[in-house]
Amino acid sequence: MSKEPSTSKEKRKNLRKDDGSKILKVLTLYEYLIKLPEAVQDRLYSHPPTCLTVFRVLPDITQQFTLRILFIEQPVPQSVLSSWVPANYSRELDESIEVATNLHIWKLTSVSGGLKGWILNSTFKKKLKVALMGGGRSTVPNSDMTADPKARDIDFLDSYAYERWECILHYMVGSKHEGISSDAVRVLLNAGLMVRDTDDSPVITSTGFQFLLLDMATQVWYFMLRYMETVESRGLDLAQCLTFLFQIHLGTLGWDYITDEMSENLQAFLQHLREFGLVYQRKRKAGRFYPTRLVIEMGQGNSRTSERMKNKERYIVVETNFRIYAMTDSDLKVALVALFTHMLYRFPNMSAGILTRDSVRTALRSGITAAQIVRFLTVHTHPQMQECGMPQTVIDQIYLWENERNRLTYTDGVLYSNINTPNDYETIKNYAADIGALVWCDERRRNIVVSTDGHDDVRKFWKKQPKSDPF
Amino acid sequence: MGLDDPVLLAVNEEEGLPSAAKKNAETAINSVEDEFGAKDYRSQMNLKTDHASRPLWVAPDGHIFLESYSPVYRHAHDFMIAIAEPVCRPTHLHEYKLTAYSLYAAVSVGLETNDIIEYLKRLSKTSIPDGIIEFITVCTLSYGKVKLVLKHNRYFIESQHPDILQKLLKDPVIGSCRLKRLEDTDALITEEQKIEKSHFPGDTSKDKEDHLNDVVPKDITDLYEKIDKVEEEEEEKTQNLVSFEVQQEKIEIIQKRCIEIDTPLLVEYDFKNDKVNKDINIDLKPQATLRPYQEKSLRKMFGNSRARSGIIVLPCGAGKSLVGVTACCTVRKRALVLCNSAVSVEQWKYQFKMWSTADDSLVCRFTSDVKDKLMGCGVFITTYSMITHTQKRSWEAEQTMKWIQEQEWGIMVLDEVHTIPAKMFRRVLTLVQSHCKLGLTATLLREDDKIADLNFLIGPKLYEANWLELQQRGYIAKVQCSEVWCPMAPEFYREYLATRTCKKMLFFVMNPNKFRACQFLIRYHEQRGDKTIVFSDNVFALKEYALKLSKPYIYGPTSQAERIQILQNFKLNPKVNTIFVSKVADTSFDLPDANVLIQISSHGGSRRQEAQRLGRILRAKKTAIAEEYNAFFYTLVSQDTMEMSYSRKRQRFLIDQGYSYKVVTKLAGMDEDPELFYSSREDQGLLLSKVLAANDTDADEERMPYEGTSKSYKKMSGKMSSMSGADDAVYAEFRRNSGVKHPLFKKFRK
Repeated sequence: MSKEPSTSKEKRKNLRKDDGSKILKVLTLYEYLIKLPEAVQDRLYSHPPTCLTVFRVLPDITQQFTLRILFIEQPVPQSVLSSWVPANYSRELDESIEVATNLHIWKLTSVSGGLKGWILNSTFKKKLKVALMGGGRSTVPNSDMTADPKARDIDFLDSYAYERWECILHYMVGSKHEGISSDAVRVLLNAGLMVRDTDDSPVITSTGFQFLLLDMATQVWYFMLRYMETVESRGLDLAQCLTFLFQIHLGTLGWDYITDEMSENLQAFLQHLREFGLVYQRKRKAGRFYPTRLVIEMGQGNSRTSERMKNKERYIVVETNFRIYAMTDSDLKVALVALFTHMLYRFPNMSAGILTRDSVRTALRSGITAAQIVRFLTVHTHPQMQECGMPQTVIDQIYLWENERNRLTYTDGVLYSNINTPNDYETIKNYAADIGALVWCDERRRNIVVSTDGHDDVRKFWKKQPKSDPF
Repeated sequence: MGLDDPVLLAVNEEEGLPSAAKKNAETAINSVEDEFGAKDYRSQMNLKTDHASRPLWVAPDGHIFLESYSPVYRHAHDFMIAIAEPVCRPTHLHEYKLTAYSLYAAVSVGLETNDIIEYLKRLSKTSIPDGIIEFITVCTLSYGKVKLVLKHNRYFIESQHPDILQKLLKDPVIGSCRLKRLEDTDALITEEQKIEKSHFPGDTSKDKEDHLNDVVPKDITDLYEKIDKVEEEEEEKTQNLVSFEVQQEKIEIIQKRCIEIDTPLLVEYDFKNDKVNKDINIDLKPQATLRPYQEKSLRKMFGNSRARSGIIVLPCGAGKSLVGVTACCTVRKRALVLCNSAVSVEQWKYQFKMWSTADDSLVCRFTSDVKDKLMGCGVFITTYSMITHTQKRSWEAEQTMKWIQEQEWGIMVLDEVHTIPAKMFRRVLTLVQSHCKLGLTATLLREDDKIADLNFLIGPKLYEANWLELQQRGYIAKVQCSEVWCPMAPEFYREYLATRTCKKMLFFVMNPNKFRACQFLIRYHEQRGDKTIVFSDNVFALKEYALKLSKPYIYGPTSQAERIQILQNFKLNPKVNTIFVSKVADTSFDLPDANVLIQISSHGGSRRQEAQRLGRILRAKKTAIAEEYNAFFYTLVSQDTMEMSYSRKRQRFLIDQGYSYKVVTKLAGMDEDPELFYSSREDQGLLLSKVLAANDTDADEERMPYEGTSKSYKKMSGKMSSMSGADDAVYAEFRRNSGVKHPLFKKFRK
């Protein structure tokens, strides 16, 4: 009689993502809003600027239909709404309805005859009308009638804002610049961009690396989203802060706004924004503030940044021979490029490096993805490269280096070995294959690996089998 | 040709080099490193306030970066080419390197130490590191000040600087070589020389200087104008020259001694005043027009109405032959053309007949098959191996050799000069006397860096063209380079891993997926009406592929007649659109119509071979302006084998010239094509058994015996990596800093 084949469990460590790093995902405004409780959403809609901001992120069809039913007091029957769209586009319609309902700006109510009809959220409706047509209270804090005796121009605001923001980034990369306030550190820790090291000093995480490679507008947006998660623990009101943020988001660059009517809470919030560089205030008690480009262009991938600033941001030359040149004197920018580049030379206003398999793999290992590297390079390409853009071969190669790491796939399984006869081998193999549990088999040594899920079935099946006699 | 194998090369002597040339700007500097492991030069230089309008960064280790989009690019580019070696020249930023040789070349085309330093200072965005100034001074001060001139068949050492000549005369070795006609005079011969501007036929230069942009700083334009003049020489100028005569038979000793004492002799040939050798009747045809870069390179050669010896580097297909022919027509003395195969001898003859007024009687060929009559010979074309042949020759060949040795050649044109080993080259030089030497090549590049020898054996590099620029102007074809990844068939991969002998390589060359990719590409391009050449270094694979696909093939043993017949058919017969060739076709097979090249096996990681092969399809195509690319270069690589890393190394040179390789991981439509061979497992099995049956010698690459020099082969043990060119400085650079971690990564713990 043959013995029962011995089974040995093979637990393989999952080697693929050894650090368990997550890919950094930046929520869009829409994705963020639908996560908020309905009550908060409702409170947000009581402010016209927020309604306008929300309206702007809606898909085209939703915008269009929202405007159509804005001035209709009765609910619009579902059938009427669907008749506005050709039948073959019903999928698009459904999607746009979903967006609107997720945001709770459209509601389904019953109309006469047991039918259902769409109606706008009443608060949203009222305030959107205000935002679109004016009237009511001004959409932004009053612009002061008297001019600021120490008015600041846009260039000043820009360099102020970038300087503040780079302070935060500098802090993340740990360069020797001055520290940042505990508020900002709290946000960074809360966002998982940094973690406390054993000696309690914050160090950057793999998400942090990915954050660094984002463009500034997206960075600000992501940072503020994570900040909002902490406002309530700071004793501030989420809806109030969001509303204020949207208000100044719609402000005009270079204008000043007065702080007289702001509540104490909002004043505190303003000081946070001031520290991150989202607003400029000469003194705490200056009585007025200037929104900066950071808040105005927050979340907009392709910003309308001033020419001067833009050229400063576009500093990377990528060559077809994998050379990378960073035309900058900023330590921070060089540090960012050096994340995935092997640096060769450092001149006063230029650094040269080369993309190598090793340098890119180091970056990949620390959780940065190929797509993020490519995006970073594309966003920051030097004006000289505008015609030809990033060399396609370099982009391909970066992705190939990433794919190279994913060529092995790991499947957990159970090994059946020491199978005595070819017959037994065949029986087990066929059964495992039939139930879709066969992972691998080797006829010569009569080894079979079945998936962990199928292992129980195969074992039971084998126990029930009449044992064949090898002789 | 296989002769550049480091293992086959004669061991080189260091003695032939001046001591300054052994200096290396790179080693002299102890550099500071920044936190990323890069060389940090910020403390060693100050940024100028108007740096935006200046195009250069000069690193203390001799590397120079040039912005190609700078308004002064054109000036800076000409200057950089003259004084430095290009390292890489892609689209935006070019990297150059100052070397002793490049500075030697700069001096020999007429630039002076102060000019070089001054202009470099003005072009640079920053202050110039002191080390660089010192390096330039050391390398240039004594160079190029003394010339060896052959006048009226008497050799003179000539200079504008009497003090240097005095110094030379005090040297015991040189002093003893002096030839005194009148016993009592010790004075130097002083003469006034009128310098006239030389015109080579077809020279259309002049009055094309356009007005410069306002953004160019004035000091740059001022100096550029000055330097430009130095290069072109003022129309009429008198110069005081001092000279002394030396004994002809001691030239060799003098040259060697001068190099040792750091004053290498420049060799120039005053062909206009040479009344001893009679002119030959040869001129350029009126329809031969020179392209701007050809003109520029010739202007460097004939800068001061004399002919300088040196090397001109032009990409394959960019018209090197025309430059050679024009040089011969300018000198108008007996010319000797040396090339490396009988096929290219024919092609050179054809070139002479096409571009010049020379007729059949003037052009003589001398190969093992064809020996033209020497009567009235003006241009003599032969191969290196014919000249250096050491075994017994036929009576006729013996007589010809004697005649060659008796001649005093006006100009010697050396085709594909990088392919000849230094030893063989020295032999040529001892056998043949010529007044000036012109080396032509596409790639001044050898895996063993022995190229430096040529600098002093022939002369400095006079000109090197920028590939990308020629491509953009349409002088050479726009090539789409692709690397096609062919997955290894499992059975082949198993054998590949199991085999330890050199037969290993057969498995990745004969990989059925590679075969299918090759067949697919051939069929695709045949349908487009393209002409395809398939290269295989491995003869076993060459035959297997060619026979299976029923295409003609050429390799070492193919007879001359058959070769020419196949090439003629390929050129003219619309039914023959694809040929298979071994590495015999690497250089100087002129196949003007070919526009597709598929490489199925290659010589390890040789960068030069890659460039040479690309050259086969570079000749500008007539059709084509409309298409983005008009030539295609495919390298088929079996995935996960040695080929992958070879392929990386091979591409290095071309990538530095601005080419980019597209990696194709899957050929669209290949799997659906039912007509491709080896689709079934059975067929693949048959192929595998065939490969298994092959013996170890089949796996060898084709040996290219150089007729007559077989004795110079030396068997040496060497690492596979050094044979394939992996011992390359570029790679060392990457390794150097591998231990340096980004400061962030150091902190970052998972």
